[in-house]
Amino acid sequence: METRAMRSGFRQAIAAFRSQTKRYPSYQSRRFLATPTQPPTDEIRAAPPFRFNDKQSQGEEDMEEGNSGFAKLLPKLRIVPASPSYFTGKPGFTDDILELQTLLRKYITLPVLPPGEAPRIAWKTHAQYKVQSGEPVKAARYTKILQVLARLNYIHPSVMPEEVKKALEKYKRDVQPFLNKPKPGYVDEYGRARGVGRRKACHAVAYLVEGEGEVMINGKSLSQAFGRVHDRESCIWALKATDRIDKYNVWAVAQGGGTTGQAEAITLAVSKALMVHEPALKPALRRAGCVTRDPRRVERKKPGKLKARKMPAWVKR
Amino acid sequence: MSGSICLRCLARPVAAIETAAPTSRIATAAFSTSAPLAANPPKKKGPAVAVKKQQHTKSFTKARAGGKGGSGGGRPPQQGERKAMRKRIVLSNTNALEVHGLEDMTAKNIVDSQSAGKMLGLSNEVLDALRAAAAFKPTQGWSLFRRPATLVRKETLEVVRQLEEAGDKKSTVRQVIFGEKGSGKSVLQLQAMAAALLKGWVVIHIPEAQELSIGHTSYQPVKIGEETVYVQPHYIAQLLGQIAKANYTVLSHLRLSKQHNLPIPVQSNISLVRFAELGAGDADIAWPFFTALWSELTAPSAEGEGMARPPVLLTLDSLNFAMGNTTYLNAELQNIHAHDLALVRQYMDILSGAESLPNGGAVIAATTESNKPASPALDFACERNEALQAGKEVPEWDPYVKVDRRVLKVMEGAEALHLKGLSKDEARGVMEYYARSGMLRQTVNDSLVGEKWALSGGGIIGELERSSVVMRV
Repeated sequence: METRAMRSGFRQAIAAFRSQTKRYPSYQSRRFLATPTQPPTDEIRAAPPFRFNDKQSQGEEDMEEGNSGFAKLLPKLRIVPASPSYFTGKPGFTDDILELQTLLRKYITLPVLPPGEAPRIAWKTHAQYKVQSGEPVKAARYTKILQVLARLNYIHPSVMPEEVKKALEKYKRDVQPFLNKPKPGYVDEYGRARGVGRRKACHAVAYLVEGEGEVMINGKSLSQAFGRVHDRESCIWALKATDRIDKYNVWAVAQGGGTTGQAEAITLAVSKALMVHEPALKPALRRAGCVTRDPRRVERKKPGKLKARKMPAWVKR
Repeated sequence: MSGSICLRCLARPVAAIETAAPTSRIATAAFSTSAPLAANPPKKKGPAVAVKKQQHTKSFTKARAGGKGGSGGGRPPQQGERKAMRKRIVLSNTNALEVHGLEDMTAKNIVDSQSAGKMLGLSNEVLDALRAAAAFKPTQGWSLFRRPATLVRKETLEVVRQLEEAGDKKSTVRQVIFGEKGSGKSVLQLQAMAAALLKGWVVIHIPEAQELSIGHTSYQPVKIGEETVYVQPHYIAQLLGQIAKANYTVLSHLRLSKQHNLPIPVQSNISLVRFAELGAGDADIAWPFFTALWSELTAPSAEGEGMARPPVLLTLDSLNFAMGNTTYLNAELQNIHAHDLALVRQYMDILSGAESLPNGGAVIAATTESNKPASPALDFACERNEALQAGKEVPEWDPYVKVDRRVLKVMEGAEALHLKGLSKDEARGVMEYYARSGMLRQTVNDSLVGEKWALSGGGIIGELERSSVVMRV
């Protein structure tokens, strides 16, 4: 029993001392903190900047007096790097990420936008960043920066601090493609909405008016324009997927390519035109696969091959 | 249904296998919904089977040994077998459901506007007559349903009304049906024939003008006055047979009324059926018999037994082939114009109005859109006549292009009937029939009708059938 009481008494005594000594982080850990903390007075201070044209700082007076004076000053000179990450492998990158993390820590409590509604920004590519920083930064490292940037970008624009705006500006690409907004479609005085679609080598323009399901393609009816039932279905797929076949009439002009390409170009054109009439159908149309243009084209032929990939027949010799 | 002939090698299956198969296995076949006992497997006699089997294996081994045939062996089809398969007309599908409440077409309901958009079946008598007249085509979808039925569309009612009027007033309807491929031109013609048969008319049908013009049947020149026309004796003999068979009930009550200059002696009061059959029996005498029969049918009606003359319906399909040059050559080695063929000329005289039918009647020709010869004059004439009827601006012939004046002249007064797609109500009527036949396994509602209607290019009935019944997923 006695030993137990003695132990607890020692612990309390140690704890009382510890609270005072741990008020500031230890010297080692403080050096690597990104946030500048109140330095204690007894810290090693950097020497004043060393100017070579300043006589006093160079000790020229002493030089005039003799070499012995300069030599006397030398031990006093000590150049300390401005950035604390000078001795890391990639000081520029370290500074950047530390700066961004500091900002994020500082403003973490600010209100943010709902998920998926942050303004789309084209950040600098990995290659562009490497050129900018002049350091061989790995892609995975740069991803860390991008993650912090993405989080900072979510801060609500109405409370976005100037400091953050400035910091983000540094990482934006010079040309922002997301600022190029397509012209909004409109329904003209005759009630027509226009949509353009492409697929393979085909280009199609579709005009959609309210009607009862009549389709005219290049001046021909659907059955005359396409012999395959599958192609006919493709043409009105956007309307079928949204259950609008008997609500609209379609005029389409398709050029170039073959039948399948034309039919699928018309699919896209019709869905674009339909989105002008009813913008709320966009998610349904995306699910039906009529919003994104299929970028595939004919693969080029390569030398040494008979077609894009076909190898010539093997011959013994 | 397709069990009787092997589609791969066109051979009849060995009957021994069929008979050996236990009935219980047939009864449990998952793909057939028809009663197993309804289909009577054809029984064949032993020796014939044995011979066939032997032939089969023999030719098979031969083909393999030679290493030449890519056909995969089997007995090669016999002469005419492929064509018979191609031209085979199947009017029934035992796997399709019987549609309850399907009315038969009668002389009354075919003119009734109540039956618009309804399906009407064809009664057995009409069916036999139409079959004899070769009114059905293998490309039409008769083989998909339990029994033949047709849709009464707006145009059907109109055509039948015109026929009725022509019968009453003893006038002649001259009509050319044209329209997109699969729009139902031939079936409309068939409906007109069925209506005429129900009214007791005489129906003369040329099922395919192509047969007359592509040089597949014999021909010989005949002088008529100064002009030379070309008679196709074998075809005319066949046609006489078809006329006799298709119009048996009508013609058997009619008797010969005139004296004709015929190559063989004929009883003076012979019935017209017998008369036509006589002509059909011999190609050499077919043409004089045909002209005599024609003059009998177009003679004015008279009192007395068998002297009444009913109205006549003349129909011709694939008119495009009869509106240009044929592949037949004349003595100067030039292509003969179709209008110089005696039979075609007879039709064209009535279509152009040069000759009229004293007892009333109609001539209805239908164009074709598949594998047709270019006939710009006919296309132009159809368009022109349609514009004239509608009171629209009439198109003009390109003055730098040579025009077939004979065609334009024939088409001058003919009514052009442009057959377009079905209306949505009609499409619904026919789709409900598909569903009730068990061939369309979806609920027929507005959205399905709208979708199929749009997919078929605005209710083109052939395409409608194709997309909803034939290409069922």
